[in-house]
Amino acid sequence: MARKAKSRTIAVRLISMAMTGYYKTFTRPRASRPMSMLKYDPVVKKKVLFLEQKRGGGS
Amino acid sequence: MATVRSHVELAQALPPRLLDFFRRWQPPSIAAFGAASQSTPTVRIAEITSSQDPNAPSASEVALPENAVWKKNPFLPFKNPQTGHWHGPHYSLRRQAELFKLAEQHNVLPLMPMSPKHPQAKEQSRIDHGLRVKGTGVGQRVKGHHWERTLKTRLETRRKAMEVMPDMIQLWKERGHGRGWKKYPKGPVSTAKSEVFDQNMRHAWVNQRVPQG
Repeated sequence: MARKAKSRTIAVRLISMAMTGYYKTFTRPRASRPMSMLKYDPVVKKKVLFLEQKRGGGS
Repeated sequence: MATVRSHVELAQALPPRLLDFFRRWQPPSIAAFGAASQSTPTVRIAEITSSQDPNAPSASEVALPENAVWKKNPFLPFKNPQTGHWHGPHYSLRRQAELFKLAEQHNVLPLMPMSPKHPQAKEQSRIDHGLRVKGTGVGQRVKGHHWERTLKTRLETRRKAMEVMPDMIQLWKERGHGRGWKKYPKGPVSTAKSEVFDQNMRHAWVNQRVPQG
């Protein structure tokens, strides 16, 4: 039985590098490079760097 | 016999309820004195109050050995050494409390046997158990919720992370706003362990950046 085709886009989680546990979820094309952006972290009340979390070994 | 007179005066000053109690459960000091002076025609507390004693020990109690704890302290549970059965205290906690209130009023607390209602025992219990809230006793500490126990570490991790954040952002901008960024956090980042931040992110980048600058 043929495996189901992988979707073109994936949902990724960008976590705050302020180590507050705050994160944002985005959708990006599977083939593109990992996301990173400056975003506001309401816990530290500042704009901080958010980096995409590496996904599990399955993908 | 000044001691006899003082005992008589004490007996006359006490309320009937306390007197009944002391007649039935004689304090060791008075009992010893009574045993020593049994041969002499002195007045004993038991004889002052009444000749008819409705609370006299029953036959089953008399059968027990004289050194049984029951005989000495009617406020504590008692194990019958012959049958091995446990009996509750002779006086309920309510009656014990009432007796101790009376004894405190008439200043005869030293004559009372030890009991959970004794002021000393209550004080000791307060020392041992505090306000019965777990962890408030002497030498104990409140466990607290998980977020309370880990709060200090998490704040420390956050503080360290925020200290190096300007550096990190500048480096990220230098690397083409993420185009050259290779290190991404592995899995969910724990906010409780400071070493997660150190291992994954900060040190790796700073060490790479220094030779460039």
